[in-house]
Parts: sequence; C-alpha cells; structure tokens
Amino acid sequence: MKRSSMNQAARFSPLEQAQLLKNGGEPIAGKKAEAALALPLTSLIDAFSIIVIYLLIGTQSGGIEIDVPKRLNLPVAESGIAVDKPQASIVRIEKGQYFVNNEAVSVQGLGAKLYQLKKSLGENEAEIFIQADQEMNYADLDPLLRAGSEAGIQKLKFAVMPNK
Amino acid sequence: MSQKKELNFEINILPILDILSVLICFLLLTAVWMQLGTIDTKQAIGDNSVSGAQNPPSLWAIVKEDNSVELSLRDVKEKMPLEYRVASRGRDIDWNSLSQRLQNLKSQLPDLKTVVIRPEARTNYGNVIRMMDQMKQNQLTDIGLSPLG
Repeated sequence: MKRSSMNQAARFSPLEQAQLLKNGGEPIAGKKAEAALALPLTSLIDAFSIIVIYLLIGTQSGGIEIDVPKRLNLPVAESGIAVDKPQASIVRIEKGQYFVNNEAVSVQGLGAKLYQLKKSLGENEAEIFIQADQEMNYADLDPLLRAGSEAGIQKLKFAVMPNK
Repeated sequence: MSQKKELNFEINILPILDILSVLICFLLLTAVWMQLGTIDTKQAIGDNSVSGAQNPPSLWAIVKEDNSVELSLRDVKEKMPLEYRVASRGRDIDWNSLSQRLQNLKSQLPDLKTVVIRPEARTNYGNVIRMMDQMKQNQLTDIGLSPLG
C-alpha cells in the first residue's frame, strides 16, 4: 500500500519523535518495532514543582492567618504594614458588641479581660489588634480604648485592607 | 536461545505527579490570599508633660461630626499660626485640603512627628483610619488616638 508523503512527514516530526517510547536498544530480529505514545511527563513535573514551591513560599510564609467575617468591611489604607505579630489579642467590634479572641465580652468586662491577656502575654508584648467596620461610629471604639488604657495596653493595631 | 533481558531503569513518575497534584490542590485551598495590613497607634490618654521636660512639637487634630477638621500645633518654637481649620467637603472630609495642609506644616516644621487625633462620638471610624493613613503618608509617624473627652 502506498503511503502519502504527508503521512510520511508526520511520522518523522521531531515532536512525535520526542513522544515515542522506544523498546530499548536495537530492534529484535524478526519482531516489528513497537512504538507507543507517551506524554512528556518530566516537563509537567517541573511545572508542578515550581507551582508547589511558589505556593509554599508565596502564600504560607508571609503574614498570619486571621479570619475576618465577611460582613465586616475593614477600612482601606495605603500605609498599612503587614501583620507580623501573632501574639496580639484580636478584638472585633460588631454592632456595639465586643469579641476578644472570638469570645463575646461585655463593655464592663473588657478592662478585666484585656488585663488578663496582658498578664498572659507579658508586659511589653501586649497589644490589641482591632477589627471594626469602617461605617462604625467612633463612640463604639471609645470603650475599647479606655479598657485598653485601664489594662495598661498602649499599642493598638487597626486592621485595614491594603489599598492597591 | 535465551535472550538477555534489559533492565528498565526508568523511574515511575506517575505517583510523583499524583502527589504534586494533591499538594497543589491543598495549597490552593488553604492559601491566604488576602493579606491584612495594620495601622499602628498608641493610646493618647493623660498629659505626658513633666515639669522641666521639653515636649516635642505636636499636632492635635480634632475631627468634628460635620467632617471638618481642626488642627492645632503645640510646643512649637517657631512663630507661625497655631490653629488651622479644614472645612468639610459635602458629607466627607476634604482630604485634598487636609493633605495639602499637612504637607505645608511638615515642610515648615520638619521635626513634627507627633500627632494626636481626637475624634468626636459620631465621627466615622473609617475616616479616623483614613486620617491616620494620611498622617503616616506625610511622615507624621507617632500617632496617638485620644478617647472621647
């Protein structure tokens, strides 16, 4: 049977040759050489390895993981710095309610709670990481400032969304 | 006639691919894409002036409920106006005027680094944060936040 010149060209294309798995060494006499198609997996592994390394370095090492409720619209700021102190106590203000490390605390109990946290964290390490909605009134933040002052916590960190 | 069998030294890379695929899926699902930022301040309660001690120049910014801003300078040696007022713009703070004013003050007083922000009860929290952001952008780095008077 006569083969067309197009089939001939396709059979010897470099790409196809790279994908051919040969059965090792010289063809065995009397046996027809078998060829199988295989994916070039080595380059795929290279690509996968690079993605894994990128994801490991780029998304896990920078910053700390802090859950912010979706209903909370954090204010936007350009000069915000990345969060790097996981030992800060997270205080969330939602509709006049205060949550210290996800535990609801009354306004009256804020000072005592923050004092406990300060004692557990150490004098110099104590700081508050405040998450609050940008539409909130300043009056809702005021009890927290006073309670922090009573507890002797001076450093305040306000959670913001970095402006792009 | 016995034929010599050739050993196949190829590493089976399909399990490696499987592991890598699972790793990629896991990392993508657990990745923290949203990076939070923080604006750092200190409490500004009480008077820190000690008799004989010389306080550095400071700027007090009072954010009114009508979104106007009153700026007053303290402990400044230079002869210059000490009170400024930035009127509101519509229902918002006039951020351009405020930024311009802060730049002017910073150019006149390069040592000025301390700011105390005093918002009023109904002042918007987002505006307070934005004001602190503007202060930081103008190299006013020591920011204190005062509770309600």
